[in-house]
Amino acid sequence: MTGTLDHRDVTLRAVSAACKLVTRRPQGPTWNEFRMQVVSAVGEAFNNIVLHGYEGRGDGEIEIEIRATLDRITIAMRDYGSSFDPTTVPPPDFDSLPESGWGLFIIKAFMDISYTPGRPNVLTLSKTLPSEPADEAPKAEGTPR
Amino acid sequence: MTFTISTAEDGSERLAIEGELDAVSVSDLRTDLEKLLARQPARIEVDLSRLRMVDSSGVGALVSLYKRARAQGGSVVLTGLRDQPLAIFRLLRLDRVMVGAEIVAPAPAGSTSTSKH
Repeated sequence: MTGTLDHRDVTLRAVSAACKLVTRRPQGPTWNEFRMQVVSAVGEAFNNIVLHGYEGRGDGEIEIEIRATLDRITIAMRDYGSSFDPTTVPPPDFDSLPESGWGLFIIKAFMDISYTPGRPNVLTLSKTLPSEPADEAPKAEGTPR
Repeated sequence: MTFTISTAEDGSERLAIEGELDAVSVSDLRTDLEKLLARQPARIEVDLSRLRMVDSSGVGALVSLYKRARAQGGSVVLTGLRDQPLAIFRLLRLDRVMVGAEIVAPAPAGSTSTSKH
């Protein structure tokens, strides 16, 4: 898709829908937090590609590949803009209360990350769905007649 | 994202943001925030109870509002943070670093504690 912010929403909707495929029971606090973190991280990554990788351009391409297996989701984002290695960026200085620079920290906090610069640059985000606590597990049905 | 800004008789301002505050929508807010700050209010309440999602760009706009209002001698109160926005604020430690900003989150469902207003 075109690397503009107008296309961010459809990307996040697809990622959110894919999160339902990592479990047979897409509900409950654990899964809700999982989905929230994945969608938040991908949104930040999309922003970074558009605002930094394709800075000043409106014709860039972003290719999104989503793989969902039971318990894990992997999103590969490929772009042809400026390379930027997110693994080398230090965390923000929290005490100075910066007005920008939070995005990468959010991505790293919520998902596993790898980056390969080149043509294209490939940013891969992945996350495993944590095990469901016992008190979130489905309740047993009532006694059969 | 939609938002409303209202001015109380005592001169305090109330900003209510609904929906998603992100890199796409934040530019819609900036002009009105400039006008709000130009009035140099003593107090700004930011009602985020209907904010469904925020990203780092949205956080940046709120941090900017906070810092500039404080620099003018005003105070900022963030209310109603919950769900994804609350998780982001906690992750970024803004609930601790934004000293002087009272961040009032709603009580968890089922809680019997009295919420502060």
